[in-house]
Formats: sequence, C-alpha cells, structure tokens
Amino acid sequence: MSNTVRYDDRTPRLFFLAAVVWAVVGMLVGVLIAAMLFLPGLNLAPYLTFGRLRPIHTNAVIFAFVGNMIFGGVYHSSQRLLKTRLFSDALSKIHFWGWQLLIVAAALAYVTGHTQAKEYAEAPWILDVVIALLWVVFAVNFFGTIAIRREKHLYVAIWFYIASIVAVAILHIGNSMAMPYSWLGSYSAYSGVKDALMQWWYGHNAVAFFLTTPYLGLMYYYLPKAAERPVFSYRLSIMHFWSLVFVYIWAGPHHLHYSAVPEWASTLGMLFSLILWMPSWGGMVNGLLTLRGAWNKLREDPILKFMVVAVTYYGMSTFEGPMMSIKSVNAVSHFTDWTIGHVHAGALGWNAFLSFGILYWIVPRLWKTELYSRRLATAHFWIGTIGLILYQVSMWVAGITQWAMWRAFEPDGRLTYPDFIETVTRIVPLYWVRLVAAIFFFTGVVLLVWNVFKTIRKAPAGFDEEPEVKAPPLVADLSAPGATTGPDTYDYAFYRFQHALRHGFHRILEGRTVTFTVLTTLALAVGSLVEAIPMFFDRDNVKEIASVKPYTPLEVLGRDIYTREGCYLCHSQLVRPFRYETERYGEYSKAGEYIYDHPFQWGSKRTGPDLHRVGGKYPSLWHVRHIQNPRSTTPGSVMPRYTHILTSTLDAREIGAKMRALRAVGVPYTDGEIEGAPAAIEAQAKAIAAEVEAQRGPRGLADKEIVALTAYLQRLGTDIRWKPVAPQEPLAPAPPPAPAAPAVAAAR
Amino acid sequence: MAQFEDKVLHELDGIKEYDNPMPGWLMAIWWGSLIFAAAYLVFYALSFGEGSMEAEYRAEAQRSTASVQAYFDAHPIVPPKAADLLAGAANPAVLEMGAARFAKTCAPCHGAQAQGLIGPNLTDDRWIHGGQVEQIFQTVAKGWPAKGMPPWGRALRPEELSALVSYVRSLQGSHPPNAKPPEGDPVTPEPIPGS
Repeated sequence: MSNTVRYDDRTPRLFFLAAVVWAVVGMLVGVLIAAMLFLPGLNLAPYLTFGRLRPIHTNAVIFAFVGNMIFGGVYHSSQRLLKTRLFSDALSKIHFWGWQLLIVAAALAYVTGHTQAKEYAEAPWILDVVIALLWVVFAVNFFGTIAIRREKHLYVAIWFYIASIVAVAILHIGNSMAMPYSWLGSYSAYSGVKDALMQWWYGHNAVAFFLTTPYLGLMYYYLPKAAERPVFSYRLSIMHFWSLVFVYIWAGPHHLHYSAVPEWASTLGMLFSLILWMPSWGGMVNGLLTLRGAWNKLREDPILKFMVVAVTYYGMSTFEGPMMSIKSVNAVSHFTDWTIGHVHAGALGWNAFLSFGILYWIVPRLWKTELYSRRLATAHFWIGTIGLILYQVSMWVAGITQWAMWRAFEPDGRLTYPDFIETVTRIVPLYWVRLVAAIFFFTGVVLLVWNVFKTIRKAPAGFDEEPEVKAPPLVADLSAPGATTGPDTYDYAFYRFQHALRHGFHRILEGRTVTFTVLTTLALAVGSLVEAIPMFFDRDNVKEIASVKPYTPLEVLGRDIYTREGCYLCHSQLVRPFRYETERYGEYSKAGEYIYDHPFQWGSKRTGPDLHRVGGKYPSLWHVRHIQNPRSTTPGSVMPRYTHILTSTLDAREIGAKMRALRAVGVPYTDGEIEGAPAAIEAQAKAIAAEVEAQRGPRGLADKEIVALTAYLQRLGTDIRWKPVAPQEPLAPAPPPAPAAPAVAAAR
Repeated sequence: MAQFEDKVLHELDGIKEYDNPMPGWLMAIWWGSLIFAAAYLVFYALSFGEGSMEAEYRAEAQRSTASVQAYFDAHPIVPPKAADLLAGAANPAVLEMGAARFAKTCAPCHGAQAQGLIGPNLTDDRWIHGGQVEQIFQTVAKGWPAKGMPPWGRALRPEELSALVSYVRSLQGSHPPNAKPPEGDPVTPEPIPGS
C-alpha cells in the first residue's frame, strides 16, 4: 500500500488544449453565421448554409469547447479532491480521442445534411450511440476514481460532477430514442407534441446539466483556488445543490408556452422556473462571497476578473431565465432574438468567461511555468466584456423590436407590418452590431490562443513529469469489514452513528457515494416522470383530429429535405393563439395536427415567418422560385438560395425503409401504401411538376427534389384549415355595391 | 461583512469551507417563490378552463372585433367608384403610391413591369377574373386563394388598394419585354379620363 499517489495531468492537459482549439472553431463559425443572417450571399449551398452550420456552431461550443473544459476540469480537480490517480489511463485515452473524433464526425454529418433536426441533439443516431458509450467510459473512469479515493468525504464540486454525469446520461438516452432507416438516418420515436416536450426536457436540462452544474463544480474548485479564499458557506452549497438537482428538471416546458403542449405542463415549467431563481443565485452568492477579502486582487488579476464577471453573468442569466419563463413575458420573447441574447449571456458570459479564467489559471500550472502575459489576458478580458455587452444589448433591442412589429395593429384591424420581411430588414442594423460584438469576443479568444501558445512554449523540460503527493490510505480499505475498531454491538453502532451525526446528516451522505448517487438520480427522476407519464398515457393531452392524415410518400421525402437543410432553425411551425399570429398566419396550431410529425419541427426562432399554415397560401411556382432565389419573390429576404434543390435528383430509393421506420414509431402506413410508394411518388411529383409548368414555370422538375419539398410545404397545416373552403363567391361580373367592405367583413 | 462568523468547517486540497448561514434575503425570496408557486397552482387548478389560453384568445378576438367595428362605425368605408379609380390612373401622385406598393407586394409574382411571372401578365387585354377596374379591385381585395392570388383587402390601406388598381390600369398596353402569353378573356379597357 503506497503512501504516495501520482496524478495523471496529461489527460487534463489534452482536454484543456482541445477546449481551446474547439473554442476557436465554434466561435469562428458563430461569427460566420452571425454575418450570414443578413448577408445571404455568404451561404455557399449546399454544404455551407446557415441551416447546416448552426448545429456546428452550437455543438462545437457546447459539446466540444465546454465539454472538453468539463472533462479537463473534472479529471484535474477530482484527482486532487479525492487524493488519488484517475481510475484508468486507458479509459482516459479512449475518452479523449473518442470525444474529439465524435465531434469531427458530427460536424461532417451536419455539413452533409445528416441531422435528426432536434436542437442540440442533431447528431445522427449512430453518433448518439457513440456519445452514450463515451459517456459510459467517462462515468466508469469518474466513479472508478471515486472508488479508489483516499479522502472519505466528497467535496461540493464532486457532488455537482455526479449529478451532471447521471443527468446527462438520462437526458441523452431519453431524448435520442429514434427508429433508424439507414446508418445515418432515423425518425424520432416521439411524435409532435410529445417530441416537443421530450426535446425541451432535454434542451433545457442540457443547459442545466451540461452548461450549469458541471461549471458550478468547476467554480467550487477553481474560484477558491484562484482567489485563495475559503468557500463562503457550506450550508448554502448543500441547499442550492439539492434544490437545483430537484427543481431544474421540471422547468423544460417553459420553452413551450402558448404552444400545442397542454397548459398544465407549461404552467409547471413556469412555476418551477420561478422556484429555480434562488437556488441558482445560491451558486452566485457562494461564488461572489467567497471573494470577500480578495476584492483588492481583482484590480490586478485578470483571472479573478474573468471569474467574477462569469459568476455575475450566471446570476444575470438565471434571473433573466425565470423571468422569460413567465407566460406573459415569454409571449414577448419567444421566437425573437431576445432568446438568442439570453443563451449567449449564459454561454459567453458564464461558460466562456469561467473557462477563460480557469485556462489562464491552469495552463501555467499544468505546464509548470508562468503565464506568458498578464497584460494580454487583461486585454482579452476587456475586449470580451465589450463584446458581451454589445451582444446583449443588440439582441434585447432586436427581440423587442420584432415582437412590437409582429403584433402591431392599425385601428382598422390591419396588421401594421403585414409583410414579414419588413420586420426582418428593420433589425439588420442590430445584426451588424451583433456581428461586431461577435468579432470582439472572437478577437479575445485569439489573444487567449496566443497567450496559451507562448506560455506552453516556456514550459521547462520535464514539465510532464507526473506530480507525486503524499496520500492517506484508501477509503475503501478503511470501510472494509474488520477495519472499524471497537466492539461489534448495536450500542456501539448507535454510538458511531451519533458520532457521525455531529457533523450533520449531509456529512454522512458525503462519505457514501452510492447512496449519494441514488438520491441524486431520484431527485432527477421525480420531475421527469411527473411531466412525461401523463403525456404518454393520458390521451386527452393530444386530442386526435379525424381529418389529420399521414404524409404521402412524396411529402415524407420533402419533409426529409426540410429537416436536412435545417429550415427549422429559422422558421417555426407553430402558430400561437394570439390574434396577431392568427391574423398573419391563420388558425392557431392544434396538438392533434402534429401526430405524424417525427421529429416535431416547431423551431424556436423566427428569422423567417411561421410555416405551419403555408400550405395552399402560394402557387407551387412561387415555392419553386422562392427556393431558387428567395429575393425574387421576397425582395430583401435574407434566406439563402437553394438552387441545388431544383437541380438535384430526388432520391426515393429509401422510401420503403423510411415508411417502415415511421410505421414502427406509430404512423399507420399499410403494406399496400408502402409497396405502392414509388408509384405514388411519381404520380404526385408529376402533378406538381405539371402545375408548375402550367403556371409557366421551369420544365422537367418531376424528378427533382423541389417537387418533394413543394409537396410538403403545400401540405403543411392544411389538414384542418382546408375543410372544403367555401368556393369564392363569383366576383365577375363585378357587383356594383361597396367592394371593400365585404373584404374586411368576410375575413372576420 | 463582519456579521459572518467565518468558522472553518472542512478543508480539502487547500480549500476551506466556512460554516456561514445562508443569506436571509435569499431564503426569504426562495420561500416566497415556493408559496407563490403553490398559490398559483391552486388558483390555476381551481379556475381551469376560464383562464386558459384558448379563453384568453377568444376574449382577445372579441375585443378586437369590437374595436374594429367601432372604428368602421366611425369611419365608414367609402368604396371607390370606377370613375375615381380611372381618374387615379391619370394622377401622378396616385400612380406613384400605386407603383411603390406594386413593387413591394405584386412584383414578386406578376413581375416588376407586370409582365407576368408566377401570376398572369397584367398589361395585355386579357383578364381571367374580369378587367373592369371595379373587378380588378375585387380581385386584389378578396384574392383568388385557390389559384394562388392572396386577398390583400386586409393587408393594405384602402387608399393604397385604390392606387394599386389605378396603377395597374395605367399599365394596360405597355408591352413590357418577356411578357407572359395572354390568359383569360379579352376585355376592352375602360377609358382613362383625359387621355
């Protein structure tokens, strides 16, 4: 039994370096797509369009940059907090290289149009399996390290790591359930409203348990280290840990206010979000008050500057979040750029800034040298802060402007801005400001890269020698049978229990990993089950509508093109029950209309107009021209050209497998329909191509992708609205009386 | 911050933890949020149905119908007469307004010079839904949704609608390049006064 341990610092070094690399990639793509939003010429279809690059941006920042920071930080701090070496060098290697390969593979999948079209969970199903396996590797390595620990009690950082690992596993597996039809293609196991609820249970809690709780763990280790001050309050740690773990998981449906999701669910989401405010601030307060007595250091130390702004931003966004979850506030912010501003307050202000602080602290220590330049780090801090503030302000103003313009009515009942495009062009100046903000923030990252590079260059020979520390004996040996001293009687056992209780019940829990993990899992499960079970077993939540029928085979193919191009990233398919939405788009969306949507495509942002009632709104030729060049039908449009959809041949070879996969998840296709699919596709495609030709459009589109996409778009939202629309009353010969009055009255 | 005792409880890897109490204001707001949530839930559960978003929507629709009705009671619509529409076709100010609206709303489908693109050519003497100015007004206001022509009566101001029709009338016989072949029935255009 050796009394020393050697820390594996190579693994954290690799993860931190990878985090820097992915920060550059993720944020550079962010800068690019920020420009694409108002300079559509930057889109290079088919591979480099906004719709395909945005998943790369979000995934690279969340899972690559933040992910690698988490792994590096967890592996570095856990060894020291548990006074032991990582469980397995081999697992560490598999974890590191596996994760990097996974990210590259996912990026390649996205540019080539392979996506599951669910935000932050876009990876094809086969990569979802790889993610799950790598997460198991991480979990085994982490819990293995806990098992061989030499400190009995788990520090608060470790609690947060445990919760994160368990929660991400549950969320990832729960939301990724899908039925494959090929190696890269699949359909979500859930339909419409259920899929939306699962997705935002996942999406919201990915924010909670990937971007928040692991980073709180990192904060609890690196902030007191960098400030050299004790953690403010142990009791506060306990309170806010358990309340975060229990409450966070309920809050997901606040992303679905005024949607077709039943109101009880979104109401629960709102209330738990409000309850979440103080537990979140518990983390901020514990972080900021830890700095008591160290505020003077803030003047000189860029590391503490980054950390303080990060913790403050954490507080700001966890105030903004509950506020935006209030139904009436959400009615304003939802689908606008306000949401975009909010997520960047979290991702840039909290995650990136805390990462930068940690990196400037850890890199010199892991490479056993001094930071190359504190002045450069300070410059990074100020540039980054200016970028942050510009980003926030521009998106707030853009969001409020969009909402105000969407809902503006004239006294005679007309929308003040009936053309959606007016509400887009109005905010283009703010998109410029956001681009400048993004460039500022990115410039800061470039300074970081240079500083890290020069610091590493200074590393002395032998920097990679593993640090060796004196260590107490293994905890496992202490609790082994026979290791306890004293008589083996009930009285003595009771005495030992009382003795342990002197430090509080929670202190006992901190020595018992299994119990702790089980309780954490239970806390996570309650909210998940209470919200999910009624959705799946109470049919009242999704009222069926008899006229809603499955998509035709051609429409299925068209929908696949819609998801492939990431249309949902700019267009919603959800008309909310507000007069200004029903006036602009048509009847508000009903839960029963989505029962054959695998996955749901409601979207979360309206850069373009809602599409749920677009079916039948325009002639097919309009869609052909619009996809070919959006500016030909909508002057000023910022949508990319998708010329390749007009030239690429429609690939219908997989239709049988696709329809069988859809049938497996609940779409009632018959054998006959599946067998007859190729013929049905040809017939519907020919009909649409003929319609386009009759409208004097391009010829020979019957075997092109555009007919499938057009078929899907023309179908959208028509299952309930076009119950035989009363034929237009004959207008010619013109009736002499009051022509305008009926136009106003008739539409009412 | 002298009110805190700063008693060290534990130390691990050089990190100490104080045994300070949780800030009172934080706990107060937390309990407040819990009580509010419980009260809201009870209130919500008991009044289910009435406060629902569908009820809100219906109420909103009723209010707006009433306010629009009140507006039209006070400002009755005066339908344009054929003579006015035709007179507009000779009035440069009206034509300017009509041309501006045409470029924004109509050009995408009918072409920048009304030569026809997705929709029919508007410059020839053939009309699918009637070529008298009052008929054109009807078509623009009510649309022919089944054929792809949206109704614009709810989206455009009445004077813009009239200006648009006057402008379209003024384009009769302008023979733009790349004109779409004629569709519909021949119509003899009504004369524009003064031309």
